[in-house]
Amino acid sequence: MVKENTIPSVSDLESALKKYRTGMQIILEGAKAETGQTPKEVIWTKNKAKLYRYEPLVEKRYPVPILLVYALINRPYVLDLMPGNSLVEYLVRQGFDVYMLDWGIPGDEDKNLSFEHYVLDYIPRAVKKMLKASHAEEYTLVGYCMGGTMSAMYAALFPSKPLRNLMLVTSPIDFTPDEMGLYGVWTSAKYFNPDLIVEAFGNVPGELIDTGNRLVKPITNYVGSYVTMWDRIMHDKPMDTWLAMNKWVNDGVPFPGEAFRQWIRDFYQQNKLVKGEIKLRGRRVDLANITCPVLNIAGKKDHICTLPQAEATMRLISSQDKEFFVLDAGHVGLLTGSEAKKDLWPKIRSWLELRSE
Amino acid sequence: MPEEANDKSLNDPTGLWRQWYDTSSRVWSNVVDGEKETYVDPYGVYQSRLQNMGEAREQMKANFFGMMDPKEAWQRWFDGMIEEWRSAAQMGADPLGLTTHMLEMIEEARAKMQAEGNFPADPFTLFKQWYDATNEAWAKAIGEVIGTEKFMEGVSRFIESYTSFHRTFRRASEEYFRNLQLPTRSDVARVAELVIALEEKVERIEDAFEDFEDGYAHLATSETVAGLAEQLERVESKAVEGLAKRLDHVESKLDKVLATLKKIEAKEQAESSKPTNTERRKAAKKNANPQSESIENEAERGGSHG
Repeated sequence: MVKENTIPSVSDLESALKKYRTGMQIILEGAKAETGQTPKEVIWTKNKAKLYRYEPLVEKRYPVPILLVYALINRPYVLDLMPGNSLVEYLVRQGFDVYMLDWGIPGDEDKNLSFEHYVLDYIPRAVKKMLKASHAEEYTLVGYCMGGTMSAMYAALFPSKPLRNLMLVTSPIDFTPDEMGLYGVWTSAKYFNPDLIVEAFGNVPGELIDTGNRLVKPITNYVGSYVTMWDRIMHDKPMDTWLAMNKWVNDGVPFPGEAFRQWIRDFYQQNKLVKGEIKLRGRRVDLANITCPVLNIAGKKDHICTLPQAEATMRLISSQDKEFFVLDAGHVGLLTGSEAKKDLWPKIRSWLELRSE
Repeated sequence: MPEEANDKSLNDPTGLWRQWYDTSSRVWSNVVDGEKETYVDPYGVYQSRLQNMGEAREQMKANFFGMMDPKEAWQRWFDGMIEEWRSAAQMGADPLGLTTHMLEMIEEARAKMQAEGNFPADPFTLFKQWYDATNEAWAKAIGEVIGTEKFMEGVSRFIESYTSFHRTFRRASEEYFRNLQLPTRSDVARVAELVIALEEKVERIEDAFEDFEDGYAHLATSETVAGLAEQLERVESKAVEGLAKRLDHVESKLDKVLATLKKIEAKEQAESSKPTNTERRKAAKKNANPQSESIENEAERGGSHG
């Protein structure tokens, strides 16, 4: 870097140019990072979906396995970002038997997949396969973001054994417009017709979803993020976490058309889940059916699933053993980074270990 | 523009920008010829920036190693920015009020940085300070705009027209490739759907096998079938025997019922066969004069035959 009022040396200039080139490469080609590296094997597949079993890194300590379910618009590595910064890796190292349902990337042929398929076909079969592989009779279901909403619906429809515990991480349940921040206005039926998008695209392109999510905090996402990048490059700070997180927020997968239509219309525009009006193949989803222990986690700074959206779960479920755990973090930062390591992960472990014997 | 200057500008982004500005401004002016008084220069907002950048470049050329005085550069940069945004606001092309927000924000940032007296010389630190000083206000301003119904009306119109265009384009492409006898995306998707449906069927079979494997269901062997047949035979023989007994009971009960019915019938018949008064009188007569009876009977028989 050029120092104030001093003559820059050739090596200074070379170094500055190299840094500039690194930054421009990231901007032009996108962030590249090695993500999802915890060793795993595929134990079941269905259409594009895969069920992973993470290879144990230590001796298994808990007989109750964990099934992770993330959002349809994410990639599986959001829960297994990178070595040393991965919830999956942490849980495996604690001696849990961890499984993850990877939704895969839907193609044109999947545009008719709806929540009925995901909640009534995919999750139950994944549960069955997991229990068999784990030789377990009970399991813990962990849902992240929309995956949490789906997990809650599943738990409401299949509330008894083998479901032992339910953990929801930044999972929107209440879609009252006033509680949703900008999404409340953007998804209003007055201005937004999901049919137009679905009829035009079939599946909703991942870029469109990513753009919508980034626009919730445009300055932070479009400018601030790159200010941080340049700052890290210019001051030779580690870039790994920034690259992985940037890859995450720009790497969305298409949203299956029919599921998108339901997500906007039934959840965002009509708030049917809270009203008990969601029906999957004629079966009413009543969250009051949930009686198992529930840990509900949310972030104060989360603009994608706001605090009230997640908090509503607490008054809708019937569980006696339930806890609402709030972190001072956003939607992405909640799962990764130093705060997650310090607060969230130990909390998850301590909550689970009492309920996984 | 002289040839020499032209060549130089090829390596100079601001030169290119200036050329583009000059050319396109002329085009715009020609387009709106005759309405010069109301003509809004679309690129005028950048003029002052170009001028400042040019001056800064000249100063750098003159004193490269010492660079320009950071404070002065900052001052000039702020002046340029404020002028740009003020011009934009005066042009009136600010339906969402962003320009006014931006102007206020820049002035605020300038005051803040001047008060702190911290004027970095390298461009990145300068930019970062600028970002740190303004991002909150800028985010607030943008947030206020994109959360309005007015903004959503515009977005809604855009989505409508864009999706309409996309649908039309997609339909036309499909039609085009179909006419060329080439498979389209939807053809491939249809085949994929068939494969997925087949996979689903295979999975159901696999599930059924797994149920056997896991003990949820059991396979029928010849022994189990023979055992089942034996059991069925036993059940059958027992049932038939039981049924025969019950039938005997029912038959004997029926016999009793029939006997009773016969008795009742006989009684009724007996009652109906008792002689009437006339018959009794006749019988009495018969007993008294048996010949007259036979004459009467003969008469009755003859009558019936004749």
